[in-house]
Amino acid sequence: MIVSFKDGVKLIGLSVVSFCAVFVCTFFLNFYLDAVELEGTFTDPAINALYEAQMVTAKFVSAVSGGFLGFMAVVILIFYVKLYIDRHGKQLGILKAMGYSDGKIALGFFVFGFSVFIGAALGFGAGFAIMPLIYKNLTIDGIPQIDISFHAELLFALVFLPVAVFSAFACGYAYLALKRPVCDMLRGKNKVKLKKEKAKENNGVSFLAEMCFKTLGGKKALAFFVAFACFCFSAMIQMAVSMIDLSSEIMGAVILVIGLILAVTTLLMAITSLVKGNIKSISIMKAFGYSMKECSFTVLGGYHIFALIGFIIGTLYQFGLLKLMVNVVFKDVAQMPEYKFNFSVFFIILAVFIVFYAAVILIYSLKLNKISVKDVMTET
Amino acid sequence: MIKAENITKTYNGGAVEVLKGISLEINEEDFVVICGASGSGKSTLMSVLSGLERSDGGRIFYGGEEISAMNDRQLTGFRRREVGFIFQQYYLLPHLSVDKNVKMGADLAGNANYREIIEKVGLSDKLKNKPSELSGGEQQRVCIARALAKNPRVLFLDEPTGALDEATGRRVLDYIINLKRERKFTMIMVTHNLNIAETADKVIKINSGKITEIINNPSPKTAYEIGW
Repeated sequence: MIVSFKDGVKLIGLSVVSFCAVFVCTFFLNFYLDAVELEGTFTDPAINALYEAQMVTAKFVSAVSGGFLGFMAVVILIFYVKLYIDRHGKQLGILKAMGYSDGKIALGFFVFGFSVFIGAALGFGAGFAIMPLIYKNLTIDGIPQIDISFHAELLFALVFLPVAVFSAFACGYAYLALKRPVCDMLRGKNKVKLKKEKAKENNGVSFLAEMCFKTLGGKKALAFFVAFACFCFSAMIQMAVSMIDLSSEIMGAVILVIGLILAVTTLLMAITSLVKGNIKSISIMKAFGYSMKECSFTVLGGYHIFALIGFIIGTLYQFGLLKLMVNVVFKDVAQMPEYKFNFSVFFIILAVFIVFYAAVILIYSLKLNKISVKDVMTET
Repeated sequence: MIKAENITKTYNGGAVEVLKGISLEINEEDFVVICGASGSGKSTLMSVLSGLERSDGGRIFYGGEEISAMNDRQLTGFRRREVGFIFQQYYLLPHLSVDKNVKMGADLAGNANYREIIEKVGLSDKLKNKPSELSGGEQQRVCIARALAKNPRVLFLDEPTGALDEATGRRVLDYIINLKRERKFTMIMVTHNLNIAETADKVIKINSGKITEIINNPSPKTAYEIGW
């Protein structure tokens, strides 16, 4: 096998995003499928309004979180496939030179779907494990107890179908990404990129600023991941706090945990990738006498603005979403609390975010400091 | 200028003894070649002398400064001020142009006239090219310009012509020797090629982590006079 099974199961970022997407969709969609049979059985308009609102919520949350996290999973998959091809360009180039077709090599990338399978299977299991609590929370006074049923079609739609789709997508994208001249792959060359970047170089800026700009330009996907991580941190923690008032503590806790898992995993994945991809440059800079602070700035400095943008968008997103849910979806529901933007929570979470982000950057700066400059000298 | 006393270095928790009590002295503006077979310890000796790596025992002095007693921050500052490197594999930054690769060294010394060096190595017309668009000889010349742009007092070279063909290798070596004469820095080159050693003022032969011979060469040859 060209791409090993081991390569396919170590895409932690993809597994975590799949886990979160399937976890949320499992209990909401299962609740929807179990509760849909009760439609039209309520005579009390107030109960019916709440029932309708909960059904809309189940569909809406599944569509938004499932769709958004599914999109994220696709972006992460593309990123991993491209990273794999870039890092193993020489080996893949040798295979092409030996006569392996692009299609034959690309087929090996189906193993990347295993990461989705791990995340989806665990997410489905965890969704079922937490389901009694969620059902209890969603049960309305005046309607009969809704029993948890297993829906095989849900298992197929949330676990097996995504694995098949993502495996096929990985193969298809790999096939397109492998369509490069063999010589370029063997030399680790990317002509198109070089020509584009040539025009952008600025003569007036310092080496450090130029290096920072080029690192950012060369890894645009990572800027997206950094922004996404900070978006999750901001949106989901603020939403979790609001949910304690609007829904229940259990919903708040679920959102908080998902938000933290997504934020930490995505941020660590992005920064680890950045550091790994720049080890040679950092080693050379260190050999020449650039300090840890300067090396850290060139690698990580360009991404701070995206972290801030992600945080701001996350704040606006959670505000807009909750406003929409309260004012539109639950507008007919009696005793629904009013939703207002909580400035004190915002400033506390901003402070926590700054500490969290600074701690991650510091840890990785210390990691950069441990890169051995001797490795460059002895490398052949 | 550089004085090493009884330098020792081991790897794998002491299992592999690479340097076994090396002592040497190198004068200012000397061109010294450290020569030895593969695995003799010559590259490790260069790493230790240049402050890229710490020795396990012994002391290294640059003038009055003892670099073996420096902490990491001081050692970084020392490399920043005093030394330049030229590597066999070039290690240029692939996303940056020739100009910016050389600027990497120049910015450390506040050298605004670094383009003179690019001109000197004959790459003025390739300022905007990326390393992958250059030949091996051109890449090595960028490496030379990058090292010299920081105005080092000591230039360390690790097999600088090892990856080049004979004609290009001679040309590059000639560049380096002429620039050394002109700019008057100390030059320490590691090579397994005994022919190249004939161009140096002093040759230190090393085998199994020990110096076996030190030869002073009163009449060094040019890059075009030696065998290859």
